[in-house]
Amino acid sequence: MATQTAATRRSTPSFRPPVAATAAVLVGALGLLGVLWQAFEAGFGNEGNVPVFILVTLNGLTLAGLYFISASGLTLIFGLLRVTNLAHGALFLLGGYVALTLVQDSGMSWAVAALVAMVATGGVGLVMHQLFLRWNQGQDLRQALITIAVSLILADQMLAYFGATPTAIVPPEFLAQPLPLGVYDLSYPTFRIAILVAAIVVGLLFWLVYQRTRVGMVVRAGVDDTQMTSALGVNVQLVFAGAFFVGSALAGLGGVFAGTSLSLAPGVDQSFLVSALVVVIVGGMGSLGGAALGALLLGLVDQYSSAYLPAEYANLSALLTFVLLAVILAVRPTGLFGKAS
Amino acid sequence: MTPPATPAPTSTRPHALARAWTLGTRATLALVLVVVALVPVLFSTFFTSQVGLTSLWLGIAAVSLTFLSGHGGMVSLAQTALFGIAGLTVAKLSAEAGWDPWAAALAGILAATAVGLLFGAVASGSQGIYFLIITLAFAQVTYFYFAAVPTFGAHEGINGIRPPDLIGDPVQHPARMYYFLLAVSLLVFLGLRYVSRTAFGLALQGVRDDPVRMAALGYSVRLHRTLGFTLAAPVAGAAGVLSAWSNTRMSAGSISLGVAILVLTAAVIGGLNRLEGAWVGALLYTLCDTYLRGWTDRFTTWLGVVFLVIVLVSPGGVVGMLGSVGAWIRRRLPGETPAPMVPEASALPLPVSSKGAV
Amino acid sequence: MSTDGATDAVLRVRGLTRRFGGVVAVSDVDLDLAAGERRAVLGPNGAGKSTLFNLIAGADTPTSGTVELFGADVTHLGARRRTRMGLSRTFQTSRLLTGLTVEDNLYLAAVGVAGGRFRLVRGARDAAARERARRTAETVGMTDRLDSLAGDLSHGEQRQLEIGLALVAEPRMLLLDEPAAGLSRAERQLLTALLLSLDREVTLLLIEHDMDVALTVAERVTMMHDGVVIVEGTPAEIRADQRVHDLYLGRAHV
Repeated sequence: MATQTAATRRSTPSFRPPVAATAAVLVGALGLLGVLWQAFEAGFGNEGNVPVFILVTLNGLTLAGLYFISASGLTLIFGLLRVTNLAHGALFLLGGYVALTLVQDSGMSWAVAALVAMVATGGVGLVMHQLFLRWNQGQDLRQALITIAVSLILADQMLAYFGATPTAIVPPEFLAQPLPLGVYDLSYPTFRIAILVAAIVVGLLFWLVYQRTRVGMVVRAGVDDTQMTSALGVNVQLVFAGAFFVGSALAGLGGVFAGTSLSLAPGVDQSFLVSALVVVIVGGMGSLGGAALGALLLGLVDQYSSAYLPAEYANLSALLTFVLLAVILAVRPTGLFGKAS
Repeated sequence: MTPPATPAPTSTRPHALARAWTLGTRATLALVLVVVALVPVLFSTFFTSQVGLTSLWLGIAAVSLTFLSGHGGMVSLAQTALFGIAGLTVAKLSAEAGWDPWAAALAGILAATAVGLLFGAVASGSQGIYFLIITLAFAQVTYFYFAAVPTFGAHEGINGIRPPDLIGDPVQHPARMYYFLLAVSLLVFLGLRYVSRTAFGLALQGVRDDPVRMAALGYSVRLHRTLGFTLAAPVAGAAGVLSAWSNTRMSAGSISLGVAILVLTAAVIGGLNRLEGAWVGALLYTLCDTYLRGWTDRFTTWLGVVFLVIVLVSPGGVVGMLGSVGAWIRRRLPGETPAPMVPEASALPLPVSSKGAV
Repeated sequence: MSTDGATDAVLRVRGLTRRFGGVVAVSDVDLDLAAGERRAVLGPNGAGKSTLFNLIAGADTPTSGTVELFGADVTHLGARRRTRMGLSRTFQTSRLLTGLTVEDNLYLAAVGVAGGRFRLVRGARDAAARERARRTAETVGMTDRLDSLAGDLSHGEQRQLEIGLALVAEPRMLLLDEPAAGLSRAERQLLTALLLSLDREVTLLLIEHDMDVALTVAERVTMMHDGVVIVEGTPAEIRADQRVHDLYLGRAHV
């Protein structure tokens, strides 16, 4: 702390001694070394910990994929509209429940149900934006409070319609069988691999849009409303509405994946909202690359810490992700790739 | 600005009307405060303990947020974390380690203040929505910590917390606890109001309005925000202690994200711009929580709707709304005298409730 | 107070350069101000005046070059520290504490330099700061607005308070960033009178678009264009200079 005060006094970023950052990187490296040592100390044989390490890593990666899909929607909305959508978790859960109902009760195929769920959550998000947020543009805290209120309402209504019993969506037929990995006789749920693939596809699509379109350029530049109007020469409100629809639909898609690989229950909305927020904040709000890195960090830290921490500390693994967040924000108040406001 | 010239004889009667209005509002206010002071006498034990105690400690928790938000521009979700640190420390020390309740309370509040300093030092670098989210992270860290660590009873929590003998049994005979809570509420209100007029408090409001200007005037913005956050920490901590005493139990569930949002909801409904809004919001919430649940299963939905309407329609909350309604009526009264609203409102709970607290 | 003597420059700027990416906003600027001097910096939009100003005030850090204030190197000190050394500034667009009264605005400005920023009790030292605030309000003609919220002031009043906030600190050096911006003709005359009435020991550096105000108040003028100083001289010399006419006066319709 003392080094920081000294640094702020000098006022120049270039003079800030990177003590805190170095310490953070060192601690991270030590943690990773600890994980690797535990994984490989007994060698590479079947008896060693390598198979467990592979499975834990895959768990971390697929969890990261899930985080990324929902966080990308959050970061898109923030990047364009400067709105922190705290109803993102509720939309996430809503997407899961819609798909669950369609698959379970209407016998719809998984893929169609997922698509309908995306349209439904996108629609709800769009309505929220048009009714409540649009005319409060620029008042970020007020908008955040509005989305909190909406999430309270949505969560309670979902509790009324879908109950409190945890339920999971049946995965599509062709992804239901475990996938043999070809090493150590391991196999892994195919559906989880599919999440990872989907996350990569979402990321690539975003990357293309960000690189190739004017809207993408605007997002990357992080410009404000009036600048954007002139930069785009288009109806800004239409772009905003579109972004809110897509962002909310991605929350819904995340919910469908989570509902299939994990399960749906009240409270899942809050825990995924918090995870998505941590991912986005760690990476820097509005930054797609940051969201990807944040998702990877969070997914891996979560899985490694619950697998490799000494047993008596294992239940503290949930803490670690937040310690990670606090440390990163203390060093870089706008996240790893965030622009100073 | 200058009112149109009115003949002298007609101006006396409108003046009387305006004065009657002023008197009326003051009388209503006085009546409300008398009722507040006499709750244990006028109402049932159930009401005193369920509505009275809960809204008072919830109000103290909410005012720590109202102060930070209204005077410091820092909307914090970490107040429940500080609340829980103090409450669970008291629980551990008094119910399990056998400390004297007063000593345990002091230790709990000190612990909350120390953690508040730490949280504040980290979060003060972030502003606006980033501040909201980093404090949300602190709330979650604290929640997960207490939920995981068996020392503090994990999810089961700690039962059988006894308040000091002076207060007695808060469940069977809540009157003493009620008056104690009322006295603390009053102290906190007056204390925060006093602070907001000192150099430190005014500078905190200056930092809220324009950090760049404050730096140009010679202030350290970050240090001021940190200390402002630290100052609100013992208030949240005191609320935690009082909650533990009122309920005789506390667990990690008492500080979940849901509760953090609840405190935010109460503060927003009451009004983030005025300290007294915290208690107004807490009372409204507690009343609805106690009586509406019997009417509807979808209590949270209605709470969310009220929250939404308040944020959309009246950012000043219920207190702000009452203020503007009063001002509106006053303007409609002939021969109005402008701007009595501010002194009138700030003179609010002074006279009667200080009598009641003694 | 100012025992530095006439030989010591109050402000000494050497080789000051600030780049933003590929753009050089301020390029190799030298500037010297003696104690009590009144200097205006002129130049068309984008000449680098505001950037130069921010570098001197400590709101920005130079890419290269040095800033010396009252004989000390302050190149890497923040705005806060420079303020406490006796430098005050105004902002081009008013930055007021809009939720506080005029008196509280001025009071905080007084406390900012006098100390007691973290005091949690009110006392005798407060009374002194309050007194200072009220005196300044009188100087800038705002005595009747002491209890108004700064956010409720008219544009002209906001500019008055803006200058008041800089004056409360009783600075040894005052930086004024376009103090006449948006003022009416009558208000500009009041402003000119106010600036002329300032204590002769105060060193003044102002950026101004309004030539009437600038050339009346200033004793020397520095003319900037594209980040470089192109000419420096007395107001009369500046009025006569052909380059100045081409660049600025010709278009400004004085």
